Parts: sequence; C-alpha cells; structure tokens
Amino acid sequence: MRGTQLPLNQTQKVRLQRALQQLESLSSKINSNASVTVADSIPVNYEDGVLKGHGTSELNGEIIATVCGIVERVNKLVYVRALRARYKPEVGDIIVGRVVEVAPKRWRIEINYSQDAVLMLSSMNLPDGIQRRRTAIDELNMRSIFEESDVICAEVRGFQHDGLHLQARSQKYGKLKRGQLLTVPPYLVKRRKQHFHYLEQYGIDVILGCNGFIWVGEHVEATDDMVEEQVSKSEQQTMNSDGILTDMEEQEQVSTPLEIRRYVCRAANAVRVLSTLGFIVTIEVIVEIVNLSSSMNLDIHEMLGSEFCVLVTEKEVERRTLTKKKG
Amino acid sequence: MEFVSPEGLRLDGRRPTEMRQIRAELGAVAKADGSAVFEMGNTKVVAAVYGPREVQNRSQQLSDQALVRCEYSMANFSTGDRMRKPKGDRRSTEISLVIRQTMEACIMTHLMPRSQIDIFVQVLQADGGTRSACINAATLALADAGIPMHDLVTSCSAGYLNSTPLLDLNYVEDSARGPDVTVGILPKLDKVTLLQRISCRLCMTDTTGEYKGIRISTRWINYNEG
Amino acid sequence: MEQRLANTWRFTVNERKFIETALLSDLRVDGRRPFDYRNLTVNFGKEDGSAEVQMGHTHVMGFVTAQLVQPYRDRPNEGSLSIFTEFSPMGDPSFEPGRPGESAVELGRVVDRGLRESRAVDTESLCVLPGRWVWAIRIDLHILDNGGNLLDAANIAALAALMTFRRPECSLGGEDGQEVIVHPPEEKEPLPLILHHLPIAVTFAFFANENSVAIDPTHHEEAVMGGRMTTTLNANGDICAIQKAGGEGVLQSVIMQCLRIASVKAGDITEKIKKAVDSFNTHTALKKIKRHPSSIPMDVDGADSKLREKQKSLVDKKATIPCPSENVVRETKSLDQ
Repeated sequence: MRGTQLPLNQTQKVRLQRALQQLESLSSKINSNASVTVADSIPVNYEDGVLKGHGTSELNGEIIATVCGIVERVNKLVYVRALRARYKPEVGDIIVGRVVEVAPKRWRIEINYSQDAVLMLSSMNLPDGIQRRRTAIDELNMRSIFEESDVICAEVRGFQHDGLHLQARSQKYGKLKRGQLLTVPPYLVKRRKQHFHYLEQYGIDVILGCNGFIWVGEHVEATDDMVEEQVSKSEQQTMNSDGILTDMEEQEQVSTPLEIRRYVCRAANAVRVLSTLGFIVTIEVIVEIVNLSSSMNLDIHEMLGSEFCVLVTEKEVERRTLTKKKG
Repeated sequence: MEFVSPEGLRLDGRRPTEMRQIRAELGAVAKADGSAVFEMGNTKVVAAVYGPREVQNRSQQLSDQALVRCEYSMANFSTGDRMRKPKGDRRSTEISLVIRQTMEACIMTHLMPRSQIDIFVQVLQADGGTRSACINAATLALADAGIPMHDLVTSCSAGYLNSTPLLDLNYVEDSARGPDVTVGILPKLDKVTLLQRISCRLCMTDTTGEYKGIRISTRWINYNEG
Repeated sequence: MEQRLANTWRFTVNERKFIETALLSDLRVDGRRPFDYRNLTVNFGKEDGSAEVQMGHTHVMGFVTAQLVQPYRDRPNEGSLSIFTEFSPMGDPSFEPGRPGESAVELGRVVDRGLRESRAVDTESLCVLPGRWVWAIRIDLHILDNGGNLLDAANIAALAALMTFRRPECSLGGEDGQEVIVHPPEEKEPLPLILHHLPIAVTFAFFANENSVAIDPTHHEEAVMGGRMTTTLNANGDICAIQKAGGEGVLQSVIMQCLRIASVKAGDITEKIKKAVDSFNTHTALKKIKRHPSSIPMDVDGADSKLREKQKSLVDKKATIPCPSENVVRETKSLDQ
C-alpha cells in the first residue's frame, strides 16, 4: 500500500494501523525474510543445482537479485517476484485494453505492458459473422469495428516477432460499452479460472483483466452477431454520429437504467478502495464491499472516504482470519 | 574565506569526512511507474520513471534493447534567484546525458527490447551536490518501478578546500571555485561508473584523498537505501 | 538522442569481435598499441586564431574571435571565454543540422571546463575598462570529419587557435578617458593572449573485457567500447578535469593507472603543439617582415618593441634567408631616431 492520501483522523489512523498489523501477522511467516533489493545475493543451496528464474542473475558464482521483491522457490527454480512492475503477459490471459492506433490490417492496443499489443484483423470476428478471408474492403472498414480509444477485451495469443499478439475470436471478447474502465496495479489481479463475472442481482458485468485494467459495466448479452447487425442497422437510421436519438422510444431502450448505473458506480468504487489499500481484487471481495456499502446505506461517493476504507480493512482482517481457520 | 576552522569543523558544523543527512522516500509521483524523492541536507530532488512502455518515436526504436531517455531540469525556485531557463540550456543537456549514460550502464536493457524507459529528474532545492542527488534519486525510482538492474548506482561529491579533502559540498563550499569531483559507483561490483572533476589544477595525490572519502560515503548511502 | 537510427552506420558482429579479441592481445586494428596516439598534425590558416587539427581520420577546425562586450555583473574585471561547437553533417551521417545534439553539448562543455575552470586563459588581462568593456573570446569548433575521439582533437584545435590568436590592441582615449579606441592591425601590432598553461585532453576507451583500455579510440573502436573517460591535464602534472559520464564501470586502480599514463601523453602532445605553433609564428614573422617596406614612418611603439623581439628571435633561430634580416637591420636603424 502506498502512503495513502486519505485524510484520516486520529482514531481512524489507529484502527487502520491495528488492522494492518493483524493482516501482517496473518500472512505467511515464511516469506517475511525473503525480501531482497537490487544486487542482494540470494541464499541458495548450491549442491542441489539451481535454476535461475526471472529477476536473478549470476555474478562470480553467486546469484544476485536484479529487482526489489520477494524470493520465491519452486523445487529447483529460484526467482524474484517484483513488488511493483508492469504487467507480464502469459499466453491465454484475458486482458482489457484501449485502442491507440488503427494500422494496416491491425489495431494497436495499450495494455500496460512495455509495448503496445497488436490485434490482427484476422484474429477478430467480422461484423457479419462469416468466416472468410479478409479483403481490402475489410481493411478499409476496420474503423467500423474498432476506433481509437475504444475499450476492448481480448485474450493473449502469443509473442510474435513484432510484439504481443491478441485474439478476440469468441463472443465474449470485443468492444466494451456502457461501463467504466479502472486501472489498478497489475499484481493485484491474480490469474483465476474465471475472469468474466456476471453479477445477476445487480445486472452488471465485471471483467478482471490480468493486466490490471478492470471493466465494470452494464450486462450485455452475448448475442449472435447476425441478429445484432440487423438491430444496429435499423437503429442507425435514427441515430446520428453522436448517438443522440431522435426517436424517444428507442432512447429508453438504448440508455442504461439509473439503478444499474448506480451499481456500476458502487462496484467501481469498491475496486478503487481495494486498489488504494493494496488488497487483491477478486469478485467475492468486490461483492462483499458492495453489499457492505448498501447495507450501511452509504452514498456512492462516501465509499471513497476514509471511514469506509478503514471499515474495509477491518472486514478484510475478519475474512482472512476466517479463511485461515478453514484452511 | 575559511572553510575549515582550526578545530576541523566546516561552515555548517560538519567534520571534513562527514556527509549531510540523507532522506529518501519512494512513491512520490502517483502516476509514474516508479518515483523517489531524495534529500541530501538541503538539496532535494524528485525523480520519476515511466516504463518500460511503447517507444513514442518509432524511428528510434531499438530491436534488441530498451531505449533509455533522461531529462534533467531545475525548478525555477530551486536556487536563490529565479532561474531564467530551467531546461534546454547546455548545463542541463550535459547533466541529462551524464545521468542517462550512468543509468543505461546498470539497467538490463536487453530484457526489454523495443521499449522505452523515461527518467525525469527535477531539482526542487539546490544546495550543492545536485548531480549526485539526481543519480541517487534515479536509482531509487528505477528500483521502485521494478526495472531489472545489474546493481544500484550511488553517487557523492567531494572537494578540496583549505588543504583538506571535504566530503559532500554544499552550495557555499561549491561556489568557492575549488576543485570538486562527483563519483558514482556500483557498490556490489565495486566499479566506478561516473567520474566528473572540475578543478583549478590539482595534483594527483589529492585526488586519491577525495576519492577515498567518496567510497566511504557511497557505502553509507547504499546501506541507507537498502 | 535526436539522431535518427536510419542515418547511423551499422557495425557488424564480426568487426566487433575482431576488435575485442585483438585488444586482448594488446593489438589494435590500425596497428597501434593500446596506449599510442595517432599521428597529429596541426596546421594554421591565413588569419590569426585559426587552426586545423588532423588526428588520423579526425579533422577538426578551431577559430578564435574576440569582441568587446560588457562584463558580467559579478566579475567586472574579467573577460569571458565561450566555446561553440558545430557538428557539421558532412563529418558523420549521424550528425543532424540545427541545434547541437547531446554529444556536441558535452564536447563543448568538457573543452570549456578544461580551459575556463582551470584558468588556462588569463581573463583578467582581457579587461579594458573595468565594469564597462572587456574582451569576450569566442572559440568556434567545427567538426569536419569524425574519425573517432573528437574531444582530444577539438581540444588541441582550440589550444592551437588560442595560441596563434592576436587580439587588437586598444587604448583609452576620449575626453574623460572612458572611450575605448581599437587600433587596427596596421596601426598597432595585435597582442597574443596570455595562456598560463595548456590543458590537454586525453581520452580512454573501456571495453567490455576486463582491463581492456585503449587510448585515442577510432570511430570503429568507439562503436564497440563500453565506456569512455576523458582526462584533461597539463604538462606540469595538474589535473584540470575528468569526465567519465556513465558507461562501463571500472575499478579504481584502472582509473589511477589511466591518470598516470595521461600525464605522460599530455607532455608529449604539449611538445608537439608548441613546436607547431612556434614554426607557424616564425613563418608569419618572416612574412610580415617581407610585407613591411622599410619606409613607413609610423610611430608605433608597440610594433617597435615587437620588431625588436622578432629580430632577436630571428637571430636566435638563425634565419636561413639572409636578405630579410638585412631589411630588418636597416628598418630598426631608420626607426631609431
């Protein structure tokens, strides 16, 4: 947790400190001695034979760390997990990103990595849903699929010679609308089996991108492309480029109801609170925080206040003690 | 003017081989990947590191290593009189070059090809030894950003006045126009990476005296940073 | 940093390996040993204060000009010295026209530090009217060909130009003695600058292999080297400046050894420069004597003493051409009235 800029009064500070201390004591004892800074040598049993992983290098026969972080050991592999670093992509990760450039036959996506990722036109489903070879006309119509500063969801396909490639062939990937994009440090999002979450009681979608970009938005049914295309065609006649509708009826259909927007904001604030406190972001925690805030009848903006943050910390302590007792 | 009193105390009460107080703080710039504020006595410097990120100027992209860029500037209010040109003048360009080459030597650039690492250093308060403070702050900011490095770079300055080698000069001692040297070393590898000396003719034996003082001080900085 | 990658000349892996392995056995590609300098030639131009230095393929020209300006407020009794570098694109494909890049600025500042901070040029003698008028010396360095080690060559060019520069003599006149009259060279002989010592820059290149050090790197060696250190010292053994701006880290012992070697080299180069300047001075003196016909009746006190000095120097050096010395003798006789 970075030095929080929250204005805490004295009691809140004390409570926060106590809660943080309890969390520290709950955390695994093994790791407390394993933090290293750059150029520290890592204690290793050399007879066992050692594999040097990320964040290590060799100097005069001893292994030294190249980043500040925690030493992790898995069988013979020794590596240093950096505390704060940019996202490190792996094949199959679900990520959320923003389009920065439309280039010949590809889009460049910003994903909080050391380079922009590339989404090839051929890795994207065409609007009419047919599987066919991309022609020159498709290339010219790339902007109708994604434009600059669109938010999209995709999966990491792999590393090619010119960078990181993504693919968005399935229904659940593609352009994200009607919601908020949040950035949290990448190490707060752990890789799980499920990254797409649909919270039915609120009617919102939460997508936890492994690169630290989190999308919270109104739930969108993953419909068949053909049907969507027809619906959007009929709507286009009544919409101008700004999306302002002339037809009042259609307006009600298209815009998001207020209740759902409120839940979207609550969930987004929950993620913001977790990010400030530095706790790992999982869907269960988000749901808990949203429930907590609605049960206390807090206004949405009060969720970002100092009192709520302290409450969340204390809740986290409770939760972890419970899990530790179970586990 | 007497810089070292007969009892062996300097103008601010320090001994000749004593450094000023050091304070360092990480995470000052929220938006940056890594940042640090470094204080050496009254000299205060903030460094911010962005990267590795996409290269902005495609023509400068290096296919096998990361591009390191550095910009040094002094705030208008950092010195006593308001500065007319905080950056873009020749001194700032030279110091930017020096800092960039020093950090480039210790960053493992080959692990991040086709990307760019930006280091921005700004002097908030200048009281002598700004170059060293900048390098120390940049090292901390790079470590904070999780960028892999061979070793930390620590730096300190020293001078020679009234026939005594003095460590960590402040502004008054610096403006006495005596010889002064700034040294940056890699503590683990025990190698010198930065050595800049301005003097008005000094023979070699005195250099070694200053140099020894700097080695002691850089070890001290290293322990403090860790 | 502003250079475009497309314009740089690329280095092959084989060339790099060759240079590095050769250095391990103390050999360099052009046949020198690690601590040998390339051949140095210093030529001078027609005007006072212009010098041309050639070191191997590196070609640098230096020009010195002077102008009367107002002094700095905090130094009313001293003149000023400023250095401008011009990295002409004809010297290297990676130089871009326009604003000086980082390396140009660095070169200018290192040469500047060597000359100004070490008080090589006596700035107090440049003062004409304290607080009102002083001479501002401007040194322009033009890089014509980049064959490696521009710093040393530029430094030598600057020194050679400074040594042969003559500034016009000026005197105070006018009603209240506050007006400055600048005498053209025909009226009064211009004066040389007072140089206390000659700071010589010696550049070392460090390579990735341990303890591989070479002096005076060529362009190819510069592309291979890991780090560079430039020491500026004079023949008396004083260190004027050291610049090691990052790059490969080296042990302290290596640095001290480099300093010792540098002081020896500085002595050699100082000798060479002095020889070149002296021969140029005699050459111009001879030409001047041929220029002045014996019948100019000018009351030139300064020139008088100058001629006497030149006569002495000519006699000392045993001028080979007998006729001009006869002219000199006749002229001094005519002036001695």
